[in-house]
Amino acid sequence: MSIWKIALFIIGFLPWMAYADDFFASKVRPILATYCFKCHGPDETTRKGKLRLDVREAALKPARSGSRAIVPGKPDESELVARIFTDEETEVMPPPSTKLTLTKEQKEILKQWIADGATYTEHWAFLPPKRVAPPSVLAGHWPRNPLDRFILARLERERLAPAPEADRLTLVRRLYLDLIGLPPTPDEADEFLRDTRPDAYERLVDRLLASPAYGERWARRWLDLARYADTNGYEKDRVRSIWPYRDWVIAALNADLPFDQFTIEQLAGDMLPGATLEQRIATGFHRNTMINEEGGIDPLEFRFHAMTDRVATTGTVWLGLTLGCAQCHTHKYDPITQREYYQLFAYLNNADEPELFLPDDRAVEKLKEIARLEEELPHRFSPEQEKQFQQWVEQARSTTARWTVLRPSALKGSLPLLTLQDDGSIFVTGDQSKSDTYELTFDTPLKNIAAIRLEVLPDDRLPGRGPGRVYYEGPQGDFFLSEFSAFADGEKVTFREASQSFASGNNKAKFTLDGDQQTGWSINGGQGKTHQAVYRLDKPRDVSQLRVQMLFEKYYAANLGRFRLWVTSDTSATAGEVPTELEPILLLDSEQRTPPQWALLRRHFALTSPHTKKLREPIDQLRKQLPAPKKTLVFVERPAENPRPTFVHHRGEFLEPTEPVTTGLPAILKPPAMPSTRLEFARWLVSPDNPLVGRVTVNRHWAAFFGTGLVATQQDFGLQGDLPSHPELLDWLALEFMERGWSVKQLHRLIVTSATYRQSSKVTPPLLARDPNNRLLARGPRVRLEAEVLRDLVLRSSGLLAMRLGGPSVFPPQPPEVTSEGAYGKLDWKVSPGADRYRRGLYTFMKRTAPFALFSTFDGPSGEVCLAKREVTNTPLQALSLLNDQTILEAAQAVGRQMIDDKADLNHRLKQLFRQILTRPPTDDEVELLRGFYLTQRHRFANKELDAAAVAGEGPGNVVERAAWTVTARVLWNLDETIVKR
Amino acid sequence: MDRMMQRRQFFTRCGLGLGQMALASLLAEAQSPNDPLAPKKPHFPAKAKRVIHLFMAGAPSHLDLFDPKPALAKLEGKPLPPSVIGGQRYAFIRPDAAVMGPRFKFQKCGKSGVELAAEVMPRLAEVVDDLCLIRSMRTDQFNHAPAQIFLNTGFSQPGRPSLGSWAVYGLGAETRDLPAFVVMSTGAGISGGSANWSSGFLPTVYAGVRLRSTGQPILNVASPRGIDARLQKESLDLVRTLNQKRLDQDGDPEIATRINAYEMAFRLQSSAPEFMDLKKESKETLDLYGCDLDKPSFARACLIARRLIERGVRFVNIYHEGWDAHSDLTGNHKNNCQATDQGSAALIKDLKRRGLLDDTLVIWGGEFGRTPMVETNAALGRSLGRDHHPQAFTMWLAGGGVKPGLVHGETDDLGFHVVKDPVHVHDLQATILHLLGFDHEKLTYRFQGRDFRLTDVHGKVVQALLA
Repeated sequence: MSIWKIALFIIGFLPWMAYADDFFASKVRPILATYCFKCHGPDETTRKGKLRLDVREAALKPARSGSRAIVPGKPDESELVARIFTDEETEVMPPPSTKLTLTKEQKEILKQWIADGATYTEHWAFLPPKRVAPPSVLAGHWPRNPLDRFILARLERERLAPAPEADRLTLVRRLYLDLIGLPPTPDEADEFLRDTRPDAYERLVDRLLASPAYGERWARRWLDLARYADTNGYEKDRVRSIWPYRDWVIAALNADLPFDQFTIEQLAGDMLPGATLEQRIATGFHRNTMINEEGGIDPLEFRFHAMTDRVATTGTVWLGLTLGCAQCHTHKYDPITQREYYQLFAYLNNADEPELFLPDDRAVEKLKEIARLEEELPHRFSPEQEKQFQQWVEQARSTTARWTVLRPSALKGSLPLLTLQDDGSIFVTGDQSKSDTYELTFDTPLKNIAAIRLEVLPDDRLPGRGPGRVYYEGPQGDFFLSEFSAFADGEKVTFREASQSFASGNNKAKFTLDGDQQTGWSINGGQGKTHQAVYRLDKPRDVSQLRVQMLFEKYYAANLGRFRLWVTSDTSATAGEVPTELEPILLLDSEQRTPPQWALLRRHFALTSPHTKKLREPIDQLRKQLPAPKKTLVFVERPAENPRPTFVHHRGEFLEPTEPVTTGLPAILKPPAMPSTRLEFARWLVSPDNPLVGRVTVNRHWAAFFGTGLVATQQDFGLQGDLPSHPELLDWLALEFMERGWSVKQLHRLIVTSATYRQSSKVTPPLLARDPNNRLLARGPRVRLEAEVLRDLVLRSSGLLAMRLGGPSVFPPQPPEVTSEGAYGKLDWKVSPGADRYRRGLYTFMKRTAPFALFSTFDGPSGEVCLAKREVTNTPLQALSLLNDQTILEAAQAVGRQMIDDKADLNHRLKQLFRQILTRPPTDDEVELLRGFYLTQRHRFANKELDAAAVAGEGPGNVVERAAWTVTARVLWNLDETIVKR
Repeated sequence: MDRMMQRRQFFTRCGLGLGQMALASLLAEAQSPNDPLAPKKPHFPAKAKRVIHLFMAGAPSHLDLFDPKPALAKLEGKPLPPSVIGGQRYAFIRPDAAVMGPRFKFQKCGKSGVELAAEVMPRLAEVVDDLCLIRSMRTDQFNHAPAQIFLNTGFSQPGRPSLGSWAVYGLGAETRDLPAFVVMSTGAGISGGSANWSSGFLPTVYAGVRLRSTGQPILNVASPRGIDARLQKESLDLVRTLNQKRLDQDGDPEIATRINAYEMAFRLQSSAPEFMDLKKESKETLDLYGCDLDKPSFARACLIARRLIERGVRFVNIYHEGWDAHSDLTGNHKNNCQATDQGSAALIKDLKRRGLLDDTLVIWGGEFGRTPMVETNAALGRSLGRDHHPQAFTMWLAGGGVKPGLVHGETDDLGFHVVKDPVHVHDLQATILHLLGFDHEKLTYRFQGRDFRLTDVHGKVVQALLA
């Protein structure tokens, strides 16, 4: 027990030793930050007695009473000292109401500091990293690269020696698990053992870095930060398609896209000159925010929540700062004001958030075939169909009116931006609400107007391809036109009737004239197609100025995305099925039509007429086989004419915007030139001018290998964060990383080829007492595997793992209740067929409100917030999962099927299985234990005491043996050694 | 059971030699400051040792069940004055919608004479003298998911720890045979989803564990088909022996923790069928709850909750989602009362007669109230419903150190605003933590450089509720 306390004592002093030269940073500021800054820190609004202690000049200023909080060198004259030492309840600081009390030691530290002159030093993380030469060490033979000198110098200072190098089997397993997230097969391990070249280890590292599995492994870690998931979150938690972003991350990591470029593309790929499709897909990073689809929500309110999440996430990932704290008030500890928070907010706040439809390799062949068949159809009419076609042409001609496109002279949306396109259609972007109005003015004088036509058009830039802009809660791509009205020279036009080419259910165009906002026209089921509504006037009239108003009101945002207005003087005009572009052709006399015009008519007839339905069947069949459209969520910077304003929000409340702000960086970050756009902001984040990004990034990678970062608070490098255990190493690595072209693979190579990384992870009692969390790194890392790696390991070592890169997320087996029972947005967990049952964990469908059970049991994320560091727990539920989960059982059964094909003797096969799972060969002792277990169970299966078929599952061969192997493999996957990287 | 004792028995059962045992227990001891579930003392002696939270998700109407408003009947069909409504946003209705009168008859009940709609809650009316009614609840959120998450975690967005997680974080676990924080659900799907019982940034050991009514009660608690108790035991023995060898070799105390976890898992496997087995309950008890032995229902969940807390479970959530009466409030609330009235009342009676009510806090209520105005929308096929209403709603507490037979707070004549003794969600949270022995301002967790707490920077303990 006492050893333990001593250990804690020593560890408590570790950071201070590293900062021995900076008394203020190591001892004083932590006290001030914890006990004083809340009322005497950066936040003006809550500052008490106008005293500010986080800035020296302010702290030294005399108060109105004349007293000075701090008089350098004179603790006896310093009010601060008097107030912390007094026993007076009304005087003492911190006041009793804060429930904080300073210890005697802390008081003495403050007093000492003032006596020594009360020097302030700037917080280390806000200063640029300093290049320090790797220190000299006594054990000069030990370091393998400069990184080791920093670690060793520290160990030598602590009078500790590094652990011996781990054996080669341990190393090969560690490397495989770390770099590609999979265990080596026995053959792969042996290949390394046989390689006696001096650089065998480095060669292995390079081989693994080049493996496509590397990108999969490291993508998962990045996706934790990106809060990636396959559903929208909140109540409805409906499915979204953003997996192309996940695949982009994998590809980028495999290509070793430099981290600066990796960053810029994700934050502002859309703004890069000539942005490629890939760069636009990359902007999905900040589209991984949740979307609330609950009935009746205010979509702008939840967009605001998504925005605060974007700011907080950006802060965590690229600055290691808890920016979220400044949403409601100026940061209590870090020098970031509330206004500065909203200036950062403004960088990210000027994008539209559409879906991007993508070309799909999986569909290319079928689409080609469909196009070919469609081309062919018009040439395959039977004589009967020829006749029907001619009849249709005549009939359509007789009902087609002469329409003229109206081009508005003015157009305005309540929130949305209406933009006139070349073809006279109006395309809509920008924000939308539950009640949006459009107003269009036409100044062309019109004669004898008998009807107005509203044509609604699909567009790939719209949700569900339009024509509407419904993106949440309602049917994607639909709209809900509640009211349609027109004013002729200021006078309201009376319509005799309204007709439409298509309506969903009873939502017909006539209800847009009834004055009731709850009723209206919508086209659900007809998304991706053109439709029209025709409003016939009670009598034809001349108009010199026509004004059209549309109201879209629903309990979700339901405005139109693309539409066009037409007029006609034909008093019998109604909404027709014929596409508007065919109308001029139909109106020609037969003999005037050119062959291409005829071809268009034939094609339309072939593709739509009931008489040609049979002809179209092969096409319909092919269409049914097409995969779901490949699409992803992206950012698109808004056009210059429609900037989205950003405000400071009082107490961080959406409903309380106060003063407007423009983009800007917090003063503490001292930008030489202020970035003004999202793209410039992204570039600044990964420039040498950002003192934090290099450190924060290398620290995260360090933690991925060693379990803990050099700064333990990976997400917080601010004043409340931990001090680095090896500050010089952190700076050296950060500079090395940036100077080596931000190459993550180079960084990984540097870390894993170090002597530090290659140490044995054995924990000796003295070391455990001295440094229980291995912050000094006198031994190698020993960390439980992450949820996905763990499952991948089981599948890989059973031979079941299907190594296919990318694609839509998959549904491996789990009890269906996980995503149905008690979940509002129920998801029918239909287990993927074929190889998709056994894909790598990062392809598992992530449902935010009911995550994949096996992964959440092992501390996997829900994708609801940015996660810089996963917890590592060790619980009975984890034991139950490894023992009883379906996937483990199936893997064990697969082992059963393999083992009976192996004709070697039992011990040999046990060793083989052991190596498949644990890489190293078992000891004789272990073989004996396993053998005993295997034989006992085989005996019980053989004498029918146990149901072999139930345990072994389906398969050929001796079921008793298969069952015995199944339960043996199950035991091996439950070993601590199996699920720990060591 | 005493933890030392448990450990001793466990190591004895492991058949470890004395030397190994000494090492193992030294390691385990070294571990104990890190054991996240070790029992801990709260800030001051607790009135409530455990909590059963009956979450009426979807939001029941205070106006039709708990808060009698004769004035509403008089105003029926007329719009509310805009001065009352202010700038409130609604999910579906327009603020000028007409008023709808209470749908059920209110009646003075019990010795305390508290008025409630006994017509649809006859059993609850019988225990009204044990209840502490808060008619002045208020929340900040008017959509289901954010409001449910807010009531559970003090914040409207997912990512923070829930009340149950805070409780277990603060108190540790009383038993290792069962999870400390259990979640059941009996109605429709829950809007807030797993964020409602998430441990947020606290370690996941504090998250609520789902107890399912179909399939295995706890995921993977049953051994796979064909694996009998002996095989499971022998498998675990082998795992333990091999892990022990690894511990001797590698010396990492995490291995000892894992050995422990497997031991607990084994106990969980045997305790799960036991607590789910209601056959041991008397006929009289089953009749009291009015539940079927095997058919999932709210009442059955209440009975299981009692069995769980008897076995040392700290915090039980039962979600009954389905109160979201945008249309046909009468029919909706009749059905939901029918489903929940007897179970809730039986739980109070049963706890009381077993002497458990004194230190078990029962909480009943939804995430907000419902509008005095009617919701009608022909296009959506809705009529005679009520929309969401965050300004006022009713919840009740019972046992665990709250005043029985009390009505706290008041709303205006229309049940629109609170006019006396408002209790904000953060106040309720502060009060619940107080009953559990915590100063809500001191039960904190350092995350991202800040000491987070359930009540954020708000919350006042409602002294008037305390017995």
